[in-house]
Amino acid sequence: MTSELTLLVLQLAFLAVLWLFVFGVVYALRTDLFGQRVRRLPAEQQQVAASAPFPAPAAAPPMPPPQSAPTEIVGRQTPPPSQPGSQRATRLVITSGAREGVEIPLGNEPLTIGRSSESDLVIRDDYTSTHHARLMLWKNEWAIQDLDSTNGTFLDGRRVTLPTPVPLNTPVKIGTTTFELRR
Amino acid sequence: MSQASQTAVNEPPTTTTFTETIKLRLRTPARFRNLELALLVLACGIVAGAVALVQLGALDALDPQVLSLAGGLGLLVLIFHIVLRITAPNADPFLLPIATVLNGLGIAMIYRLDLARNDQGWGAASVRQMVWTALAITVAVLVVAFLRNHRVLARYRFIAMFVAIALLLLPMLPGIGREVNGARVWIGLGPFSFQPGEIAKIALAVFFAGYLVSARDSLALVGKKFLFLQFPRVRDLGPIIVIWLVAMVVLVFQRDLGTSLLYFGLFLCMIYVATGRESWVILGVGLFVVGGLVASQTLSYVEGRFNAWLDPFRPEFYEQQGGSYQLVQGLFGMAHGGLIGTGLGEGRPNLVPLAESDYIVASLGEELGLAGLFAILALYLLFVSRGFRIGFAGGDDFGKLLGVGLAFVVAFQIFIVIGGVTRVIPLTGLTTPFLAAGGSSLVANWIIVALLLRLSDTIRSGPKLVVGP
Repeated sequence: MTSELTLLVLQLAFLAVLWLFVFGVVYALRTDLFGQRVRRLPAEQQQVAASAPFPAPAAAPPMPPPQSAPTEIVGRQTPPPSQPGSQRATRLVITSGAREGVEIPLGNEPLTIGRSSESDLVIRDDYTSTHHARLMLWKNEWAIQDLDSTNGTFLDGRRVTLPTPVPLNTPVKIGTTTFELRR
Repeated sequence: MSQASQTAVNEPPTTTTFTETIKLRLRTPARFRNLELALLVLACGIVAGAVALVQLGALDALDPQVLSLAGGLGLLVLIFHIVLRITAPNADPFLLPIATVLNGLGIAMIYRLDLARNDQGWGAASVRQMVWTALAITVAVLVVAFLRNHRVLARYRFIAMFVAIALLLLPMLPGIGREVNGARVWIGLGPFSFQPGEIAKIALAVFFAGYLVSARDSLALVGKKFLFLQFPRVRDLGPIIVIWLVAMVVLVFQRDLGTSLLYFGLFLCMIYVATGRESWVILGVGLFVVGGLVASQTLSYVEGRFNAWLDPFRPEFYEQQGGSYQLVQGLFGMAHGGLIGTGLGEGRPNLVPLAESDYIVASLGEELGLAGLFAILALYLLFVSRGFRIGFAGGDDFGKLLGVGLAFVVAFQIFIVIGGVTRVIPLTGLTTPFLAAGGSSLVANWIIVALLLRLSDTIRSGPKLVVGP
């Protein structure tokens, strides 16, 4: 019924479809579906950052005064030079505790911290409350809000009572874990 | 678990987090699931095509009955897909289609061997394979549906250890233990036989992950430095010695080199991933090589495998009972297949002993050729890479280790089997994941698929990082 040639053509077609499947998977994988969080640096952030209601933190002034440019440039050698609007932290780095050195990329969504497994950053130790604190974007700046935790959240050694902006490279301590926000 | 986490679970979530979860649910569309559905349709098409080609090649006619049986399996996979849409919408979209294609190609090839041998009904391995596939997918669906959080498994790590040990010892019990081709790794209950070691590998991966999460600090940080490498303390050597002894027991009493190598390799991989210390790998490989060398000198079956591997074409090894006959027939088969194969249903893979289980790769190599075999290897590579990716992206240490361990155990098993068939390493009797005839292997590998799917879903929808246990 079926000739040799038909069978050969069918065999080749089958192998082609098999490889099509393999390459289909590889093609769908190209944007690697985990993560690749987009770093958005829209231009309008600049104006919003300038009108931030918080006092400018010492560690990261939002607008370096142009007069002190030479010293400023020396001091800002380590982070890559960029426009002042992109001052916002893009990652959270654990600086002490069990997972020291691990980073979490920060997007635009708030980040919840607590012992509950619903939190974005789960910290399980004896000092952390179930819903302990929350990092959120407030007028284009990361601020930390203590969610009435038992043992408190400490920003640079001071207990946080009201939502407080978190400057770059300033330690935030929750339980036995300390983290910093970095650009 | 500790009391602290108990209260954490019992406390009602505050309104803010509750609304956030809802927002998250709404924001993520079922992008992964739609991609999975598209790939699944292609996968089912490939399987149907393979079965149809087998019938055209071997029977010169289409038999709608078998095709409809294969269609039933497609339906079952679609049910799995729908369950994933409901219970794990963010799970990895590639694992299920890849497993479907591999499993279907295996069924097509086993069916082809049945046609060559004229086996029918329950005597046909392909019918049993289809029933086992249905059972395995059902078990996997149940695992995904009822295991909503993989961290629950960490609590049962010691139960997992005892389950693994019990499963390993079962074939050695008189009465239900069965010896097949010299290896005592089967249990038989009436007409059914089962290889409990396949399920044991999952239990072992769970146990190793749970154990290493709590023990890795002492295993990773202390020790003496010697020759650029930091070696562990003598008292920390306990676990590795125990696992080595278990592997040796399997090697000596169950006469199964492959299983022994698989378990020990799994432990070495996981301890390396958990501690990041090369000295563990060097130590473990050294221990196993010593054990293997001693075994090859004293145990006749290991010696026979080594001889067949090194010199398969020597007449006395070829003609010996349990010699290199099978290996050489498999090599001839693959050589006959060449680049594009003889075509499904047109080769003579049934000449190789155990062509449907241990030698399914040689059968596929003969009928699909190098091109087909490499496509299968590429699918395995993708499957394993997804597993490692899931382990890499995991938020909690237990999930990371479990993902890496499960992916590694599949990868290592593929290496041991295909390496054995293609004469890269000595031949050992393990099953090729998803392809080979054998119910226990199918159930175990589909459970691995289910666990990896669950892990990948938790990664995307769960916490970004977990500090602490």
